Amino acid sequence: MTMSNAPENFNDLRKLLALKRHEQPPPGYFNHFSDKIIARIEAAGLAAQTQWWQRMFTSIEARPILACAYGLLIGGLLVVGMGVSQSAEADYATAPALANPWFTAAPLPVSAPRVGDPAAAQLVSQTDPASSVNPVISSGPPSFLFDVNGLKVERASATFR
Amino acid sequence: MNATVLETPLARPRPPAEAPDERTLVKRAKEGDMTAYDGLVRLYQERIYATIYHMTSNHEDANDLAQETFIKAFQALKSFKGDSSFFTWVYRIAVNKTINFLKQRKNRTHLSLNDLDFNAEHDRDLVALISDKNPRREVNLTELQEKLNAAMHKLSDVHRLVVTLHDVQGLSHEEIGKIMDCNTGTVRSRLFYARQQLQAYLSDYLK
Repeated sequence: MTMSNAPENFNDLRKLLALKRHEQPPPGYFNHFSDKIIARIEAAGLAAQTQWWQRMFTSIEARPILACAYGLLIGGLLVVGMGVSQSAEADYATAPALANPWFTAAPLPVSAPRVGDPAAAQLVSQTDPASSVNPVISSGPPSFLFDVNGLKVERASATFR
Repeated sequence: MNATVLETPLARPRPPAEAPDERTLVKRAKEGDMTAYDGLVRLYQERIYATIYHMTSNHEDANDLAQETFIKAFQALKSFKGDSSFFTWVYRIAVNKTINFLKQRKNRTHLSLNDLDFNAEHDRDLVALISDKNPRREVNLTELQEKLNAAMHKLSDVHRLVVTLHDVQGLSHEEIGKIMDCNTGTVRSRLFYARQQLQAYLSDYLK
């Protein structure tokens, strides 16, 4: 056996270093090693970051043909949707309003009647004045607590001696 | 000793051939399949742990760092483009994490060595190193293990890493270059220097 301390001859050193391969962790150490890692990943919520749409994009990246198919499908749906929307708008514009049963049932717009208008007076007479939803309109002068019109006014006279 | 023996060291682990289903596992893991990622962890857990352990010489530290390596790898899995093998990629994460850890730890080296397995006593070359012909017959394997680890820790982190990856883990110069992000010439020169240093530190235990 020759001496192997020459710098270029590391044979014995490599044999000695092989000793490190025999250093092993406690028995069974690797049995649950991956379980601990998966548990830590799930506990940290890292696994939840991969949502369905992320997985979909990942799969699309791997399959360009599938990506094209998705693109065509979405584009087609968009065109069809726009066509349906435009035709519906055109139908709505051309259809007679009275043909729509909902339209006939809708109340006509009511404008506030003006005071003194005969039509308004008629309207007021037909409506319940006590109603809170109708405007309070009266054709005559307002009535007061004391009848001012019924009072007799006489000239005051006084004699001074 | 002839040159053939030098090139074929005993018990040298095979270079980590890429598992046949590694790509499939990576693809499924990227899609959020935790079972697939579990498979990837099982595939490389022992080698990743061993590399970190040989760098730190501490089981507890190696345990923590190995777990953090795989968690970090999962977090960064989306950025993995497949330019290199998953094995090289996860190794790089482990090495960077370990070197950063050792920089922070600096001189607070506390060895917590694992026990030698049963096969060590039957390793012919190791037995030969402490054989009757050796004047230091009284040296037992455990003491040799402590001396070896102490000598390893006298090396710089980079040199210890090269020795670990090549002489302990059995990786090729090319693989080490990819992991350490340097060319094979640099790997060879670092390896040569590290071996020289170790040989000097351990001269009493080498025939």
